[in-house]
Amino acid sequence: MSNEVWVVADLKIDGSVRKVTFEALSEAGNKVAGKLGGKLCGVLIGSGVSGHAAELGKYGAEKVYVVDNDLLKDFNTEGYTIALSELIKKHEPAVVIGGNTVFGQDYFPRVAARVGAGVTMDAISIDISEQNTLKIERFSHSSKAIPTQVFHQNYPMMTTVRPNSFKAVENPKDPEIVEGGVEINPADIKTKVIELQTKESDRPELTEAERVISGGRGLGSEENFKYIYQLADILGAAAGATRAAVDAGYCPYDMQVGQTGKAVSPNLYIAIAISGSVQHFAGMGSSKVIVAINKDPDAPIFQKCDYGIVGDLFDVLPPFTEKVRSLIAEG
Amino acid sequence: MKILVLVSQTQDTEAKIQVSSSGDSIDTGGMKWIMNPYDEFAVEEAIQTKEKHGGEVVIISVGPDRVLETIRQALAMGADSAVQIKGDSFAETDSFTVGKVIGGEIKKLGDFDIVFTGMKIIDEESGQVGVQVAEELGIPHVSLVSKVIQVDPAGKKAVCQKEIDGGHVTVEVPLPCLITCPDAMNEPRYASLPGIMKAKKKPLTVVNAEDLNLEELGLSAQALGKEGARVKTTQIKVPEIERKLTIIKGSDEPMVKGEEVERSAEELIKLLREEAKVI
Ligand SMILES: Cc1cc2nc3c(=O)[nH]c(=O)nc-3n(C[C@H](O)[C@H](O)[C@H](O)COP(=O)(O)OP(=O)(O)OC[C@H]3O[C@@H](n4cnc5c(N)ncnc54)[C@H](O)[C@@H]3O)c2cc1C
Ligand SMILES: Cc1cc2nc3c(=O)[nH]c(=O)nc-3n(C[C@H](O)[C@H](O)[C@H](O)COP(=O)(O)OP(=O)(O)OC[C@H]3O[C@@H](n4cnc5c(N)ncnc54)[C@H](O)[C@@H]3O)c2cc1C
Repeated sequence: MSNEVWVVADLKIDGSVRKVTFEALSEAGNKVAGKLGGKLCGVLIGSGVSGHAAELGKYGAEKVYVVDNDLLKDFNTEGYTIALSELIKKHEPAVVIGGNTVFGQDYFPRVAARVGAGVTMDAISIDISEQNTLKIERFSHSSKAIPTQVFHQNYPMMTTVRPNSFKAVENPKDPEIVEGGVEINPADIKTKVIELQTKESDRPELTEAERVISGGRGLGSEENFKYIYQLADILGAAAGATRAAVDAGYCPYDMQVGQTGKAVSPNLYIAIAISGSVQHFAGMGSSKVIVAINKDPDAPIFQKCDYGIVGDLFDVLPPFTEKVRSLIAEG
Repeated sequence: MKILVLVSQTQDTEAKIQVSSSGDSIDTGGMKWIMNPYDEFAVEEAIQTKEKHGGEVVIISVGPDRVLETIRQALAMGADSAVQIKGDSFAETDSFTVGKVIGGEIKKLGDFDIVFTGMKIIDEESGQVGVQVAEELGIPHVSLVSKVIQVDPAGKKAVCQKEIDGGHVTVEVPLPCLITCPDAMNEPRYASLPGIMKAKKKPLTVVNAEDLNLEELGLSAQALGKEGARVKTTQIKVPEIERKLTIIKGSDEPMVKGEEVERSAEELIKLLREEAKVI
């Protein structure tokens, strides 16, 4: 076994590297590789991805393993699982970290099962234990509890990390590039992507956004969600929603924040006409500043937010949005 | 078709959470146990698939006897039979081992077409077991499926839609396969009274954990329980984020009205800018 610490790059549909990758490199460099005395390495898996090695180097990767293969063009579980598992078997890293994105959730547990590793998902802190093993914290019980989990001396130790939990800090290195040399057989890829629909949106992704504006059932219609989008666009924020709003058909499921939707932890979360259920808080309770606008003074959200206005959204939001607009315009 | 569903029981997380005196687990005394909500979607999807294509739905659940209540609920919804892998003292068995144990039992059940599982348990929230069972069985999986578009038992394939960040994909997967279910993929039915009556007579097989052949599964003798876990919980804290609770209200009634509206908007912006420094 080596004592290398790997961060596997998480790529967007357009092939660019997701921010969580840089966050993980920065945090792993400080808290994990440093303490283990191991090299911080990046891992690039995909098609035409070699070019990203320098970006990983910018955030501290001293070495970058690359598996570049046409068969890995669109994310597919089988291809990625083979690529990462084979790399792990060949180079025996101590720690393997990835983003807790739709992709990470899909193949990290499978890779762990294949290589016999222990794995945790969605860590919000990473560190090294007294036994020199990986130690993480994450949320459980609908985010009402934070267990500390310590790995047994069983290698590698794998985890995914929650986006927006760590700061990405530049620490430029000139990484050595290592060709992974992993063979993938077309017959190994059994699941075929038959259609890929991308959504054009200028708004940031929910899980990466610094600010999130969300609407609840109280918006009353799909049409009224324009109030959410307007404010979001002025603030450069992502737009979110509750399950009640999604179920009512006001907006698509990919906007759902909560236990069964996306987990977000922005600097600013504005909840409009949202009552503040346990399940919604499970997805946004770790936001730095929470603001609520709700007409019911007894709405539970007023017991767990930083700022709030008791008022009708249709009265309060238009002047609020206008004032924010002129403020931002002033700079 | 033979359709399998992995059903787990979970603590109802609506309840107040209390850390036990040992500091490394949640006090479950007096807590309500329910069917894991995602597993309800899995059961519903399995029953709908059976209704379209014929066949049988088999429930598989690992845990102590309290899980029988959850198993009965699944049978009452319309599943045909169940397997309980029974162990009383292995509460902290890791997901890796649970996946191997379930996979091992599935292999004994003979040929099957689809396994449905939940995306994660809402108490532990590991989100691994489903995918790891697929690995143990050597079959493909599709996780977080928002919609099963088509199941084609004759052509031995299924077509599923899955949401990804920035869009969605439609994938075709050969059978047998495993599908993990997130929220909102269907509307789970309630168990009807006749369903509840019938459930009592449906076949239940009980496998004792003591009788599992761990060696055959490639597991060590200590694999079950906390000692053999690859990852151990050493401490649990209850997050306490202090919130400011600065709420702007109307003067006559709780809601801001008339001129107060403009003023409240201004005040909020000032707070966000000067105190919180977030805009
Ligand atoms: C297993 C499970 C998983 C779940 N997962 C999620 C999840 O991931 N995400 C999620 O969000 N929910 C989830 N839920 C649902 C959750 O329990 C709540 O039902 C939901 O969050 C409520 O959404 P809401 O606040 O929009 O609606 P409501 O609770 O109906 O609240 C609407 C609020 O709007 C206010 N309002 C109405 N009109 C106005 C107005 N004109 N101006 C100002 N305020 C107004 C009302 O006072 C009220 O407080 C889940 C539930 C279960 C059982
Ligand atoms: C022999 C044995 C005995 C056990 N005895 C106990 C006990 O007494 N008390 C206790 O609290 N825990 C017991 N467990 C462990 C527990 O039942 C869970 O399986 C374990 O906590 C896995 O949770 P997870 O967070 O990894 O699940 P996740 O990975 O989050 O679950 C994902 C999905 O996998 C499926 N799944 C997960 N666990 C099970 C399960 N147990 N049965 C069927 N499907 C499942 C469900 O579809 C679920 O939605 C036992 C495990 C084994 C192997």
